[in-house]
Amino acid sequence: MLEDDDFLLATPQRVIRARMTRFAALALAACLAMFAILVSSADADTSDTTAYTSATAVPRLAGLVRPNDVNSGSLLLPSKEPGFFVEAPRLKTDVTIDVDGPILRAKVTQRFMNPTEGWVEGTYVFPLPEGSAVDRLKMQVGERMIEGRIKPRQEAREIYEKAKAEGKKTALLEQQRPNIFTNQVANIGPGETVVVQIEYQETVRMSDGAFSFRFPMVVAPRYNPDPIVQTVDFKGGSGFAVTDPVPDRDKITAPVLDPRENAKTNPVSLTVNLDAGFPVGEVRTPYHAMRETDNSDGSRTYSLSEDSVPADRDFEMAWNSAAGAVPSAGLFRQVVDGQTYLMAFLTPPSVDNAEKPAREVIFVIDNSGSMAGDSIRQAREALALAISRLDARDRFNIIRFDDTYESFFPGLVAATPDRRETAIARVRKLDAEGGTEMLPALREALENQGPVEKGALRQVIFLTDGAIGNENQLFETITKDRGEARVFTVGIGSAPNSFFMTRAAEVGRGTFTHVGSEAEIGEKMKALFAKLENPAMRDVTASFEGGITGDISPDPIPDLYFGEPVVLTARLPEEIKEGAIRLTGEIAGNPWRAELPLDKAAPATGIGKLWARRTIADLETERLTTRDSEALDRRIETIALDHHLVSRLTSLVAVDVTPSRPDGEPLGSAKVPLNLPAGWDFDAVFGEQPALPSPAPMQKAQAGANRLMAVADTRMIAAAPTAEAAQAVAASANRNMVVLPQTATLASRDIMIGLLMILFAVMLFVASRLLWSTFAPETVSTRERAD
Amino acid sequence: MRMRVSGRKPASPARVRRPFLILVALIALAGCALVFKGLYIHAKAALAQTLLETSFARAIGKPEATRPWPWADFTTEARLTARRLGTSDIVLSDAGGEALAFGPALIGGTARPGDEGTSVIAAHRDTHFNWLREVRPGDFIDVTRRDGAKATFIVRSARIARSDASGIDPHRDGHWMALATCWPFDAAQRGPLRYIVDAERVDDETTLPPLASPPNGLIASR
Repeated sequence: MLEDDDFLLATPQRVIRARMTRFAALALAACLAMFAILVSSADADTSDTTAYTSATAVPRLAGLVRPNDVNSGSLLLPSKEPGFFVEAPRLKTDVTIDVDGPILRAKVTQRFMNPTEGWVEGTYVFPLPEGSAVDRLKMQVGERMIEGRIKPRQEAREIYEKAKAEGKKTALLEQQRPNIFTNQVANIGPGETVVVQIEYQETVRMSDGAFSFRFPMVVAPRYNPDPIVQTVDFKGGSGFAVTDPVPDRDKITAPVLDPRENAKTNPVSLTVNLDAGFPVGEVRTPYHAMRETDNSDGSRTYSLSEDSVPADRDFEMAWNSAAGAVPSAGLFRQVVDGQTYLMAFLTPPSVDNAEKPAREVIFVIDNSGSMAGDSIRQAREALALAISRLDARDRFNIIRFDDTYESFFPGLVAATPDRRETAIARVRKLDAEGGTEMLPALREALENQGPVEKGALRQVIFLTDGAIGNENQLFETITKDRGEARVFTVGIGSAPNSFFMTRAAEVGRGTFTHVGSEAEIGEKMKALFAKLENPAMRDVTASFEGGITGDISPDPIPDLYFGEPVVLTARLPEEIKEGAIRLTGEIAGNPWRAELPLDKAAPATGIGKLWARRTIADLETERLTTRDSEALDRRIETIALDHHLVSRLTSLVAVDVTPSRPDGEPLGSAKVPLNLPAGWDFDAVFGEQPALPSPAPMQKAQAGANRLMAVADTRMIAAAPTAEAAQAVAASANRNMVVLPQTATLASRDIMIGLLMILFAVMLFVASRLLWSTFAPETVSTRERAD
Repeated sequence: MRMRVSGRKPASPARVRRPFLILVALIALAGCALVFKGLYIHAKAALAQTLLETSFARAIGKPEATRPWPWADFTTEARLTARRLGTSDIVLSDAGGEALAFGPALIGGTARPGDEGTSVIAAHRDTHFNWLREVRPGDFIDVTRRDGAKATFIVRSARIARSDASGIDPHRDGHWMALATCWPFDAAQRGPLRYIVDAERVDDETTLPPLASPPNGLIASR
């Protein structure tokens, strides 16, 4: 019996063991499978670059750039890979900047080379400070020299396309954005050198008694991913290969060019002629060492020292006046074609009682569905920051709105620490959902907060993405009900409705602040707080005295914040030397008045162009709000043509008279030595500058440039002129290009993981049933024994 | 021997069985919930489109934008039809926030389809824009706007770009439309890459301009 029993039990035990092992193995496998899936999905989020490269299946070589990487003038040749470009070797850049009073004029001459064996069309992209007026283009391609003429945009493009098709050398300079210009050059021969010279004008920046300007000259960062090219060398038939995947890795992956090497391959000479118009005190160039020469006429000339590192920082120059001669005002005049153009600037006096005024702040925060995601997080953060800046003397209220609205407090309340904390805690809990009904919230903020206390500043601060349709109604409400209040808008997210924000701030006499990302909140809000917390010069008006008429821009004049000067331009229909401009305003409750007599105006050049540039900018703003945009377009075009300015509607086009690429001529032509025409001050470009004392370094530089090009691999350049590629450069040179949203749901992943979990559960269940079914008899037998 | 066996595994079935079964049930339940969540996204996307279709048909030609349902934070903007593929989608006004769950959406700050500039419309790759992978150069895409205006676009090319380097200029010369969705199409995860189809407006199909150059390969090599 015992033996029997033993024998009977032995089998189930073996079976149990086997089943348990199988069960454990199954469970382990299922666990591993799930783990692998979860890991792979987490992994995929980080391994985008590899996904991209394998997708396009084209090994990317160092040296390719995207137009967005370009920070200084660069000639881009289309590469074979769409969207990427090869930067033509820049042999030399020469910059001359003449500062004449409030205006500076920059002449930039650059020499590029076509390193390929084919005829190419290059696109020259150059970002400039906003408000620059580009009015001149000269170009030398090989032996040909051409100068641009101003034409309406469409006509200019037609001329260019026609000349291009005929094989003529031609250039077209267009404005893509107020601060981005492109210059297309067609039919550059193999090995030919291109010299591009552009001229632009800009105003000297004035702030707090200091004058400054900036010239962009940062070398473009190269697109330089981890190299994926791998060469495997099997030796001796052992089946194993020992190899460095990228033999010249150090050359390719050098993140920054050695400054000395770079100075040679990309030499920049820069000269500034500074004629400030007043005794100059200290002159600073924070990032570059300069040599200074005093001229006989009182102006000074600065040029880059030889051993400076020119091209890793933007060039900046700032100066102030000699002690005791702080220019608080300036008036300049230019007569062009019988018309007088004026430019005036005036820094209002600072108020002695520097005590900060008490404020009454009403925050309006948008928590509608369109703010969902990053936007509401940024809005919450910015608002919490703003609340924490309030003072115990300040009063405040917060209104949140979606398709409903709600005030945090019944009216304005004193900003005690307790209330501030409660408010911040409530703000942090805001969720974004529902529609956007801005008008009732706006009314609540403007109308229902009680009267303004004496001496207090009433400020309405709007945090929204501006995704609304009834803009005009809102503008009307702001204009009508604003009263004493100033309306400040804070645009949240990567693509807020900037038109609404800018215009709302304009009619609300406030400012628009754009917070584009989490990282920007601190910096941008700090600038806003400086404006909110200090007394501003308000209700500024400007008019002519002495029976003369003319238009003054800007109109109306915005509030002037701490240290800001008012800068006016005006045009008078005739040559006038008498009369005055009268300015009035109010600062911290005190009236302010100033008069600028016209007979004291200093003659200056470039005032007419400055007036034209600012008028065009004003008209462009006006165009956003008017229905009759065509009439405004015509005015813009007329002004731009009259003043020889590149604008949204006018371009400079240059065409060579004789075709340089005649039909039937073989493409690979000999390299043409460059002969400079007389009268062109390209001397600096060709090594007669002290920076390059002998021609020998120039040759070295050229060799260096060729080496640089070898890394970029000239084979990557598409040989034929491709109009589409050039168009793409023009399109994407724009820094405000569209950022696409996330367009993948997690549906399929969820379903997959869900199914796996169900499968896993079923497997466990089945396995356990099997297991227990083997236990079952024993359980019964145990129970029986107990009974 | 018997004692040893029962002693080694005394009450294991009875005491372990219940918690174990509960655990199994929980895993199964969580799995079901995830599957349901995934299916819900698809169901919402499909159902919303039929509701939007009625709402759009009503809104056509009306001056004021109307909301498809009162608590929606978007309006219907246009109907998008891929002629060869026979798809039809209602495009919503704003791609921010939650609109993309219901339909393709016009990205804020870009032109209305048919206007000068580039109109950018984005949608999820696995719901509304899963037909985008079938689009070929030369396909026609018809757009009916809320104001009743109609425009026809011809597909020029397609490309892959990172979302923050899309190369789309909203103020580009001419009348363009860019359809964007996530890429790769069959991936189960989110990533930074987008598939962008560029289409240019054509007014008269009989005088179509020829394709300037063969499209950039992505469509063909996919």
